[in-house]
Amino acid sequence: MVDPILLIAIPLGAAFFLGLLRDEWRTSAYVITLLTLAFVSWVSSSWLLGFSLDKIAPVEILTAGSEPPFSINLRMGLNESVALLMISLTGLLSSIYLKDTLFRLGRRAMAVLLVFVMAMCGIVLTRDIFNLFVFIELTVIATAGLVLLSHNTLSLGAGFKYLVASQIASILLLVGIIFSYHVTGTLNIDGMAGMSNVLIQTSPLAFFLLFIALVIELKPFPANGWALDIYESAHPAFSAILSAATATASLFAVDKILNIGGDNWLPFATGIGILSFIGANLFALAQTHDRRLMGYSSVGQIGLILIIIGQRDILGENYFFIAGGVLLAHAVAKAGLFWMSGLVNARELSAWTALRKRPMLIFAFVSFIALLIGLPPFPGFYAKWELVHVLASEGRIALIVLILFGALLETAYLFRWFGLILRHEDEAPVVACPSQKVAVIYSAVLLGWGLGYIWGELSGFGNLLYTIPLLFALLFLPLEWLPAKLKNTFAIMGLVTWFIVQYPAYDPLQLIFAAIILPGGALVLLASYYNSGRRIGFYPSALWMFAGLSMLIMAEDSFAFFAAWESLTIGSYFLILRGKQSQPHALSYILFSLGGAFLMLLGFALASEGNPLFPLTSLASVASDLAPWVFILLAIAFMTKTAAIGVHIWLPGAHAEAETDVSPLLSGILLKAGLFGLFVLLINMGKQQLYGVELTHVLLWIGAISALLGNMMAIYQEDAKRLLAYSSIAQMGYALFGLALMNHLGWLMALMFVVNHYIYKSMLFLSIGGVAKRTGTKAMYRMGGLITLMPLSFIAVLIGIIAVSGVPPLSGFGGRWIFYNAIMSAEYRLPMVIIFLAGPIAFLYLFRLIHTVFLGQLKDEHRQLKEAPFWIILPQMIYVAFLMIFALAPGLALQKVDGYISRFFPNNGLNWEGLTITSDFGYWSPVSIMIIIGVIFVTLFSWLLFVNRRAQKVKQFNIVYAAERPYRPETTHFAWNFFAPYRKALGFMTQPLVTRFWDTVAELLHTAADLLRRLYTGDGQTYAVQLLAFVVAVYFLGNGVM
Amino acid sequence: MEYIALTCGFLLILIGIYGALTQSNILRMIVAFTLANTGVNLVIVGIGYINGRTAPILDTAVPVAEAATRIIDPLPQALVLTAIVIGVGITALMLAYAYKLFTLKGSLDITAIKELKW
Amino acid sequence: MIKRFSVFLIMLGLGAIFLQLLLQYLPDESLNLSGRYYAENTASEVGAANIITAIIVTYRGLDTLGEVTVLFLTAAIVGLVLSRDQSQPRVKPADRPQPGELLSIGTQLLVPLILLFGAYIFINGHLTPGGGFQGGAILASATLLMLLTHPVKRFSHRLITRLESISGLVFVGVGMLGIILAGGFLDNRLLPLGEFGELFSAGTIPVIYAFIGLKVGAEFSSMLLKLAETEDN
Repeated sequence: MVDPILLIAIPLGAAFFLGLLRDEWRTSAYVITLLTLAFVSWVSSSWLLGFSLDKIAPVEILTAGSEPPFSINLRMGLNESVALLMISLTGLLSSIYLKDTLFRLGRRAMAVLLVFVMAMCGIVLTRDIFNLFVFIELTVIATAGLVLLSHNTLSLGAGFKYLVASQIASILLLVGIIFSYHVTGTLNIDGMAGMSNVLIQTSPLAFFLLFIALVIELKPFPANGWALDIYESAHPAFSAILSAATATASLFAVDKILNIGGDNWLPFATGIGILSFIGANLFALAQTHDRRLMGYSSVGQIGLILIIIGQRDILGENYFFIAGGVLLAHAVAKAGLFWMSGLVNARELSAWTALRKRPMLIFAFVSFIALLIGLPPFPGFYAKWELVHVLASEGRIALIVLILFGALLETAYLFRWFGLILRHEDEAPVVACPSQKVAVIYSAVLLGWGLGYIWGELSGFGNLLYTIPLLFALLFLPLEWLPAKLKNTFAIMGLVTWFIVQYPAYDPLQLIFAAIILPGGALVLLASYYNSGRRIGFYPSALWMFAGLSMLIMAEDSFAFFAAWESLTIGSYFLILRGKQSQPHALSYILFSLGGAFLMLLGFALASEGNPLFPLTSLASVASDLAPWVFILLAIAFMTKTAAIGVHIWLPGAHAEAETDVSPLLSGILLKAGLFGLFVLLINMGKQQLYGVELTHVLLWIGAISALLGNMMAIYQEDAKRLLAYSSIAQMGYALFGLALMNHLGWLMALMFVVNHYIYKSMLFLSIGGVAKRTGTKAMYRMGGLITLMPLSFIAVLIGIIAVSGVPPLSGFGGRWIFYNAIMSAEYRLPMVIIFLAGPIAFLYLFRLIHTVFLGQLKDEHRQLKEAPFWIILPQMIYVAFLMIFALAPGLALQKVDGYISRFFPNNGLNWEGLTITSDFGYWSPVSIMIIIGVIFVTLFSWLLFVNRRAQKVKQFNIVYAAERPYRPETTHFAWNFFAPYRKALGFMTQPLVTRFWDTVAELLHTAADLLRRLYTGDGQTYAVQLLAFVVAVYFLGNGVM
Repeated sequence: MEYIALTCGFLLILIGIYGALTQSNILRMIVAFTLANTGVNLVIVGIGYINGRTAPILDTAVPVAEAATRIIDPLPQALVLTAIVIGVGITALMLAYAYKLFTLKGSLDITAIKELKW
Repeated sequence: MIKRFSVFLIMLGLGAIFLQLLLQYLPDESLNLSGRYYAENTASEVGAANIITAIIVTYRGLDTLGEVTVLFLTAAIVGLVLSRDQSQPRVKPADRPQPGELLSIGTQLLVPLILLFGAYIFINGHLTPGGGFQGGAILASATLLMLLTHPVKRFSHRLITRLESISGLVFVGVGMLGIILAGGFLDNRLLPLGEFGELFSAGTIPVIYAFIGLKVGAEFSSMLLKLAETEDN
């Protein structure tokens, strides 16, 4: 192993050596710089490998040939080597990125860069407090120098403000150091830590000054205006170092210092961390300048790590796994984003639309924000999981809630940004991408994924990058250049194969869901053959969602379940975002989903009391004081996915604006994930009571109200796909209601809904999607009379609405039949009435759908329309066949399930005899019903034909009333505001109260952010005042400890 | 004696910081910071002082054998040198910044540098 | 006014912190752990009569390396900042007043003496008060004096940077040799400790201090030059 002192000596020597070169020899100076940084990286990585693979012991490096504490010593251990590698790699990559700038500025700038990296390595290595101060000052000076690399003249002001702040910090630090020395008689950090008791008892303030000065170096909110100015104005490659490397080094310093202070000081770190994490992320909401936004995000992330540092008394051996995961993920992601910002010419967030045409860069961006937020399979995900579990087992629930709230804020602005990039109307011109810069960005992407792999290996929960479904989805990334049709074939084959492989492992419940997800998904994907071109981004996202779904139903422990849940959420988010107008809806989808996921995380953490691999079946044995809370958290989480009323507002837009073949995926398949979760929850936890309230009863009410209001809202829609989307809310309400009945038939009915809803909603979305594709509109009043032109679509819709409305003879009726039986055997009268009411309302919107789209008059501009494309029709026809079969022989699917449910509710089962099904209240014979209805229909239809045989065909004419000048032409159309009378009567029930509530929440947050961030006045002195005020405030708040 | 040095040092620090936070002229701010730095240096040296002892240089006046009882603490003296040099470095840097800011803006008023905010 | 008042309040807070520090402070009666070690062992381990120098150059040599680097960095950055607009035309020498006779004669007389004095200070750093930084600062005062006399005279930047770089490299190099030949980075026992109290004693300390002196002198001079050149614009 190379002596670690060379990490300091070699860059320093190289920096001095650069002075000997002629100013014109820039190439050689640059090569020396790169070689030096490469050397430093190599040394760090060789130590890292030594520590991790060969398990060598940490080394102490003495200087001056004498022992500490009398001379300075350094320490190299596993954590040090990781931090050093992070720092040196960031330095190396940034200097590759900075090639042009460094050539312009010459050897002096390169020397400063080398010293900068050296000083950060020194901060990590040294075990001497004064030496730490020297290295910190070196980074300060080098920072002030490198700020000048920017072309931006504003950076001068920022640099000066930074110097002012650092002067104050260094004054406090020096006073702290000398008083600590006075008490302990040593400058060695470990020596001081050994005398911790003496120091804290005789002169706690000395330690306070040390601590607060180092915390200031971390740019804690709100004492950090100067740092934000630097992020905003400095060269992006430098900001990358500042955000990745300097932050790493400073956190290391704080961690060392806290060894001296002992556990009493950890709450300070926690408090400052929370303030930073939430405050910075809140302020970032209102930010439109990209680099400043990243600056806020950096401050927030550092706050998060500070929180983790504050928990190290309880984290034990997981401390470095958690802190390291968050820290490294942040470092890689933020460096990558800053490097990317150098490719974009303007500084508004929307200017990043320039990247739209470059899928690789988009992928890089996605990877970076996923790293930042901690989505699977990145390190932050594992770290977050572990952290929340430990916190929950220690009862630090409030802290978890605050952390998750901050994370949600961060999700909001990062995903909004991403949505803007893909979907903002104005597209910035494509940017020039010098190859060395792009290469630097891609290496950050690789590093990020590599970290994900390593953390998966270290986690002990199972590496997500080994799961076949996720790997299959990732496989589509390198295949993106293939034509969409070929990829579609792969995808379908993959889904079907996985189903066949897994088939033996499924129990009946899993089988039902698996059948919908895998072969069902394949069926929907048939429609995707319609698309030509390469359809970049569709397949990785769709398969990521499918991977999540198929992992979800097989999950046996809480971690696998949560990982699958987040995966399917992310995949589906990207799918939703593909719709042209879907940006705001996709954002609200991801916010609700991740919000729900965070509740789930909290729920599992509470339930498991710290066991990160908690078997789902153990939900049954959760301590009784916790159980209802766990139940509530998990139920809300699942209901965000099924879009129960109250958390439904993301659904209509997301489903309606999605692409033709995406809507059925979302509605037919994705919604079932929530139902599956509810099944798992109810199977394992059963009925729970909180303060005497039966929680399943609450679910019952939510289900009933969702059904009623979903249907009510559906009837007023003008947009056909929106109508179907609202109808999904209601349908999921039915299913929830059935589940919450907590009896045999209720569950059977819920499962029936799972299957039925998949079939008819997929079919309807496809046929309406096909119609919309042909007519170019989704507004129903712009359609009409399409029955002759698109007969197959008509048949599909007709069959579909018969099935949805639950009239005989199709399977919808079967659902209703079981349903009525189910509620007869339960004793909840009022919600039952509501759910009965919802039925006829469904009929209204379904009637409208068929009437206004396919019947009535054909529009002039539609006379040349053809039937929907073959590939869109094909799955519909298959669905029609399915519905028929399912209607005739529901036992095919249900009998097994019925038996399965008997495990939980042995009574009130159904009796299956041949094709007839008997319950306690009557019997249902699908075949006879089909025959009866068939006979009635044929009779009536023939009679109708007979009566109308002489009917004359009337030509269409203009019906716009004379002498009337409609301001909006559609108001004269009969299909517009079809149910106006009902709206007058019942419209109050569909007031968008929930939407308004969430809008207000969002607006309040934004307004608060926008007002409060004005505390950053831009005045360097004000910043310094804030900084000192922060110090004084911490001092007075912590007076108890001092 | 020790208290006098420390008190003076702290007062200098307070005066310096007060000046740096209230004077809007950049040059005055820099001067104020040097004042505060001097205060810090005074504190450092004051900490190392032991009543009635002499400088830590071994010669005929202070033989090696008696050193431990005759000299003051040498370490703060070494530290203060480093602190002074670093202070000089930062002051020079701030002056360079001040020069650049002046050529850019034609004024040395810190309150006029507010383009970056929020 | 509000600003001043809030600053005043914060100063009160800071003052309270300092006051509490002061109240918790107990003056030492005797040397503490580190101080005693240095007092007792410097002579035998390092061989320097000036204990402070022993600490600066050897025991805490890494700090000093950092210190030298601070100056190096500052010089480099000042160079970077101020060389940005050297393209502007220089003011002609004729526009400037000539230095007075007293100044020019005095300079000629004093500069060699100052240089000599500076060298004396840093070469004797391990024996008497003083050392590389002090000596270097004195050297730079010679540059300042010359600048005052001939403000437009061009000094050789190259010479200065070379001096700076070579001294820096020697410092690092001597430090590294310590790893190979003695007990660790910057161990001064590379050279024999010699007789205590003599000029040639204390191992590599005089060598290092001499180069530190040169380096500091060069760095201060280069900063002064850069600042002086801005005056010309």
